[in-house]
Amino acid sequence: MQKKWADRALLVVFILLAALLYRSAADYPGIAQTTSAKYVRFLAVFIGVLCLAQLGFGLMREHGREVLVLSESPRRFFGLLVGLVLFAIAFEPLGFYLSAALFIPAIGWMLGYRRPLVLALTTAGVLGFVYVVFVQLLSVRLPGIEIF
Amino acid sequence: MEYLAIVFSPAALLTIFIGTFAGVAIGGMPGLTATMAVGLLVPFTYTMDPTMGLMLLGGIYAGAMYGGSIPAILLNTPGTPAAVATAIEGYPMSRAGRAPLALKTSVTASFVGGTFSVLILLLFAPFLARQALAFGPAETFLLALMGLAGIISIADENSSLIKALIAGVLGMIIALVGTDDMSGSLRYTMGMVDLIDGIDFMPALIGLFSMIQMLELAGQRGHEIDTSALHKAQKREKLPKGIGRFMGLGAGTGTLIGILPGEGATIAAFISYNVAKRISKTRELFGKGNPEGIAAAEAGNNGCVGGSLVPTITLGIPGNSVAAALMGAFIIQGMIPGPDLFTEYADRTYPFILSLFVANGVFLAIGLFFAPYLARIALVPPAIMVPVVAAFAVLGSYALNNSVFDIYLMIAFALGGLVLKKLGYSLEALILGLILGPIAEGGFAQGMVIGRGSPWIFFESNIAKVMWLIILALLIPPLYSYWKHVHRAGKAAG
Amino acid sequence: MFKASVFAGVALALGLSAAPALAGDYPNQAITIIVPSKAGGSTDRTARLFTDLAEKNYEGFEFVIQNIPGSGGQKGFEAIARAEADGYTIGLNFTPQLVAHIVSGRAQYTLDSFHVMGNVAQDPGIVVVPADSPIKTMADLAAASGLTVAVNGIGSDDFLAAKQFEEAAGVTFNLLPTKGSTEQKAAILGGHVDAAFMNLSQMIKQHKAGDARIIAMLTDARDEHLPDMPTALEQGYDVQMRATRGFVAPAGIPDEIQSQLDSMLAEIMASDAFKANAAKGNIFLLPMSGPDYLAYLTDLQAQTQAVYDQAPW
Repeated sequence: MQKKWADRALLVVFILLAALLYRSAADYPGIAQTTSAKYVRFLAVFIGVLCLAQLGFGLMREHGREVLVLSESPRRFFGLLVGLVLFAIAFEPLGFYLSAALFIPAIGWMLGYRRPLVLALTTAGVLGFVYVVFVQLLSVRLPGIEIF
Repeated sequence: MEYLAIVFSPAALLTIFIGTFAGVAIGGMPGLTATMAVGLLVPFTYTMDPTMGLMLLGGIYAGAMYGGSIPAILLNTPGTPAAVATAIEGYPMSRAGRAPLALKTSVTASFVGGTFSVLILLLFAPFLARQALAFGPAETFLLALMGLAGIISIADENSSLIKALIAGVLGMIIALVGTDDMSGSLRYTMGMVDLIDGIDFMPALIGLFSMIQMLELAGQRGHEIDTSALHKAQKREKLPKGIGRFMGLGAGTGTLIGILPGEGATIAAFISYNVAKRISKTRELFGKGNPEGIAAAEAGNNGCVGGSLVPTITLGIPGNSVAAALMGAFIIQGMIPGPDLFTEYADRTYPFILSLFVANGVFLAIGLFFAPYLARIALVPPAIMVPVVAAFAVLGSYALNNSVFDIYLMIAFALGGLVLKKLGYSLEALILGLILGPIAEGGFAQGMVIGRGSPWIFFESNIAKVMWLIILALLIPPLYSYWKHVHRAGKAAG
Repeated sequence: MFKASVFAGVALALGLSAAPALAGDYPNQAITIIVPSKAGGSTDRTARLFTDLAEKNYEGFEFVIQNIPGSGGQKGFEAIARAEADGYTIGLNFTPQLVAHIVSGRAQYTLDSFHVMGNVAQDPGIVVVPADSPIKTMADLAAASGLTVAVNGIGSDDFLAAKQFEEAAGVTFNLLPTKGSTEQKAAILGGHVDAAFMNLSQMIKQHKAGDARIIAMLTDARDEHLPDMPTALEQGYDVQMRATRGFVAPAGIPDEIQSQLDSMLAEIMASDAFKANAAKGNIFLLPMSGPDYLAYLTDLQAQTQAVYDQAPW
């Protein structure tokens, strides 16, 4: 997608959101009508006007054909993203240590690092550090460490 | 004198050193905050000698405020929101191989700001706390506006002012999610219990800066960062001349704002940065790596350390969330903030305040000593750096509220923020709006209640009038130069 | 360490419960205490006061405190209600938030979701005015019209007390909800509001130092910490409010285990060491047995319901 079109689509979405936000302020109960609702309406009008102005300027001035590229290497980019989501999903059932022990070397490998020893040492270092700082020093409970 | 003897006993010095060192490390990790560390260690100090316990926590506070600037400069991943302004100047310096100078500037400025504020705390605390009480909700609203004026300074003449404003307001709108404090009703929470308290700014900060930086590193073709500059420019650069002015500016602003209610450090850093940019002779270098910006911002946020303790220990009104956690440590030892602290418990309070000087000295030594080594962090291969920082980002997001929801929130901010960034919207403005939005709203809504629905209250007091003048002074020059720029560009195009 | 965490992870992943609850060998692992607020806060300190002595005096008992802050305690209360009733998870509650969430329809628990173990601490409600205020008694407060009064958020104990007073005195306040008691304190000390409904521990020092003036205790009888201060009841207004902090467990824990925990709590609360530590930590005690506290909570829920029906939030 071209950058200018992505920007325009985003601005239109923001304008719609601003309109919804403005309308929602009418439903604020009691005291909020004279306080919070005014603040919310102001924000809605302000962002709406700004977006319209930006949309207008954009239509007049932007003639570039630059394409929106989130990343030069989509494989690595989305690899990391998927890795993160899997990490989050595994966080509670597997616990931090096990999921991090899988996540760090897997991402390192995916990014093209090929020295298993360094990867293993880094992972161990991170886990050890977290154990010392979180569990020993701050006594934070992380999921999946009841065994300690 | 006897208080000095307490501070300089070997056990006390060791405690302060450990606290400060831990603080620097905590502030430097994305996701670990001083609030969290102090809060978690308060029960631990229950069993310690009271004075030692307070010194430990004080060291963490002072160290963490400085520590936030290290990753901001080296990796563009500010460890605390107060270090966002530092990242704007520090990271470009790192990229240009000037990381050692940036680190040196930041640690020196932090030391100056921190020491100055503690001096004020020591000498004038009771007097200043009384004055700060005149500062009501209406003035708090204006203070938030002053901070938000920083959005204008983020957008310099070359990037779109409108887009920066849109990002800032978007941040304020995101901050609306949660409980409406005025009515207690829930708004835009979509029935999720996790959203009742609103969106925490830490997952947003981690997502928008640390995680985006990692996603961009991961997605780079070829992974070859130009490190030649780093290798050759390890020569020692001296601090630029005239930078003391900016440190002084930050120290004063930070101490003053720290005393006032609200999350002062972020506001102080941005206001100092903003003013520094206005008065600088090398304004065109701002945004491209100007040590003056780092000096002002870092002296500003560290100035809040002493400042925030002024109302905390004299009146029991903590200036920010770290001070609030610290107040818990005082109470746990039976030291209820108030005049008693300076009479009955003077043998604990004064050593605690004096220990903060030592803490500032300790992080100065740590910072200066480690700066050349820290600068090499930028040389770690991205394939190692990315997974490690990402793991800490996930852990940090979780540990804040023990909530997996915050991890997803962090990822969502990273992805959404990346799209916005690529389209030219300023993420610094977004996070500023997200942090200051609730302060602005609270001040506005409470002001309206106290003023019984009349907005006149925002102009009534003398403090308010002065604040309006400052806000106008911060807004008009950049708006004028922006208008001129657009006008010229319009003519050239036409 | 790595091996151990793998084992823990696998065990959890397979859904194996490491220890079936058998009364005979109870406890054979650490007991988790859920604290529905931040570490270092007053509820957290109440919990640690208990665990300190319990671990010292009862062999085999080990406690882990888990802080689940947020949404006025609701997240934490729900975690306690949801926890497995095997005696290895108990928690703290605080009022009136525990019942206020039920009344406002937000909670997924009811009082029946808990076994109420007993109350530990309290913080009496107070009415406080700025030091130079012309208001000196509750009658003055009722006589003045349109006062701006700060309460700590909607649905809090302060809010409920202010509503009770409005009802009793037939006045309407210009209510200012704040985020936390710190903002209330600043508003009173700075003279930005006319009065505030707060808790004693938050203002006792300021009152004694002459920076603010407490004009009434909202308790049934005078409080030992401020014996000269008349109650609102004495001044002719039936307004009573206090924050309480006690222990609850998920309902359905086997009787032998539950009674063991209940009597342990009662014994510790009766000990002198506990009282001394509480006094040092600025925690006001109000020991209540499980059944008494349950009756108190049920009562409080009915009262809160009445206020909610008048003016929902």
